[in-house]
Amino acid sequence: MARLKGKTAVVTGGRQGIGRAIVEALHAEGAAVMTCGRGARPDELGPSVQWVTADVSAPSSVEALKCAAVEAFGSLDILVNNAGIQIEKTVVESSDADWDAVMGVNAKGVFLVCRAFVPVMQQSASIINIGSISGMTADPAMALYNASKAFVHGLTRSIAVDHGPDIRCNAICPGWIMTDMADAAFAQAQDPAAARRDALKRHPAGRFGTPDDVARLALWLASDDAGFASGQCYTLDGGLTAASPLNPGLF
Amino acid sequence: MTRLSGKTAFVTGGAGGIGSAICSRFAKEGAQVVAADLTAEEAPSGNISSLRYDVTNEEDAKMAFETLLERWGKLDILVNAAGIEIEKTIEETSLEEWNRIFAVNVTGMFLTSKYALPLLRRSAGASVINFGSYDGFIADPGLTAYCATKGAVHALTRAMACDHGPEGIRVNAICPGYVDTPMLQSFFRDAGDIDSLKQSVRDVHPIRRYGTPDDVANLVNWLASDEARYATGQLWVIDGGLSAQVQQMKL
Repeated sequence: MARLKGKTAVVTGGRQGIGRAIVEALHAEGAAVMTCGRGARPDELGPSVQWVTADVSAPSSVEALKCAAVEAFGSLDILVNNAGIQIEKTVVESSDADWDAVMGVNAKGVFLVCRAFVPVMQQSASIINIGSISGMTADPAMALYNASKAFVHGLTRSIAVDHGPDIRCNAICPGWIMTDMADAAFAQAQDPAAARRDALKRHPAGRFGTPDDVARLALWLASDDAGFASGQCYTLDGGLTAASPLNPGLF
Repeated sequence: MTRLSGKTAFVTGGAGGIGSAICSRFAKEGAQVVAADLTAEEAPSGNISSLRYDVTNEEDAKMAFETLLERWGKLDILVNAAGIEIEKTIEETSLEEWNRIFAVNVTGMFLTSKYALPLLRRSAGASVINFGSYDGFIADPGLTAYCATKGAVHALTRAMACDHGPEGIRVNAICPGYVDTPMLQSFFRDAGDIDSLKQSVRDVHPIRRYGTPDDVANLVNWLASDEARYATGQLWVIDGGLSAQVQQMKL
């Protein structure tokens, strides 16, 4: 299958987890892919995937990423804003440095990358932002992260409105995706096995998500099959947020 | 406090847990109230008169508002609070049960509103308050038909606001979360003794308690009053923060 043959793509935060899964999915469908991260090129990244060391929260770094993409591809069809960080604090606990870190990457980073790339995107291009269910309903003690994802949802709609019809822009709002981030959360529980069982019962799908689940939706949004989809925030959470948080069966 | 003095109000489900709290509050605020319910009980105050009223019966609606036209000449406040719930999945629900809950929760709202409209038009500022539920947004397990009726109420509310706003009639829905009523206790029946569950239920709420009928009546009172004169077509969730959060994993 080569649904994206001849298309070019940039994915931010492609070192690991969801970003890496999206890089591999786009590449497998025939797209030419460039990805970036703050460190050096990961050893196991496929040789035909281009790597740029870049910090999306720094304007000069984003400009360099754009120049590298234009030089390599000429223009861009698919942009995935995936780079993100989380800090587990309430508003009162959060320092100015925490604000700069979380909002710098999750909010300003998406703005900077979109501002740089929108002018070099083709007709029928697709921008895919990684939002979160936490941007719609709150996770406890994740104040800045939750707010940064709500920003992503708002910017998604604005780009769709301002830059259609040439560019479609949508967000994916993942729920619990099993990544190193989620594993760390369970490891901190008093009884990690019980915590995992409880969390699973809250998922109508009976399992947590995988980075590949998110990559498959990103692939669809990137493809021309999604030609009428724009300005939406699509939740992908195994049914988690369709159910009330108050479940007497789990007390 | 007599914020509703000179106003007239009709409350379906007026003998129920939430309905009777609304009637008492309206009376305290100076309104003349008809508490309409299947059983007409002794009215607790001189400003409240009881009416035997079946929301599913079109003749009852015709008669009630013919009588009120003679008695009051107008209606300022209509509260559609009558509702039932069925604790079943769709496989367990018979067609008869499905039709019954839609008849009470949705058709009843339609019939009462339909025959109240000519009186509401004669008000200087009419307010209709429908009872939706947070279950119209997210699901409680084993409550399918109820969830579906409340989703219908939300759509009906917006549609009525659209059609009758130009006539000076505001239409809003209140979407309560967990309110301490006989209906709530019935919902918990299968999960165990309500007393043993109380702490667990409180802990799931950001404000660490569940609602009382008076909490709901406070919002109904505001929406009924002229202070809310620009509020229409909206769904007002009041749930102690329950649905603002993502599922509470036991970490």
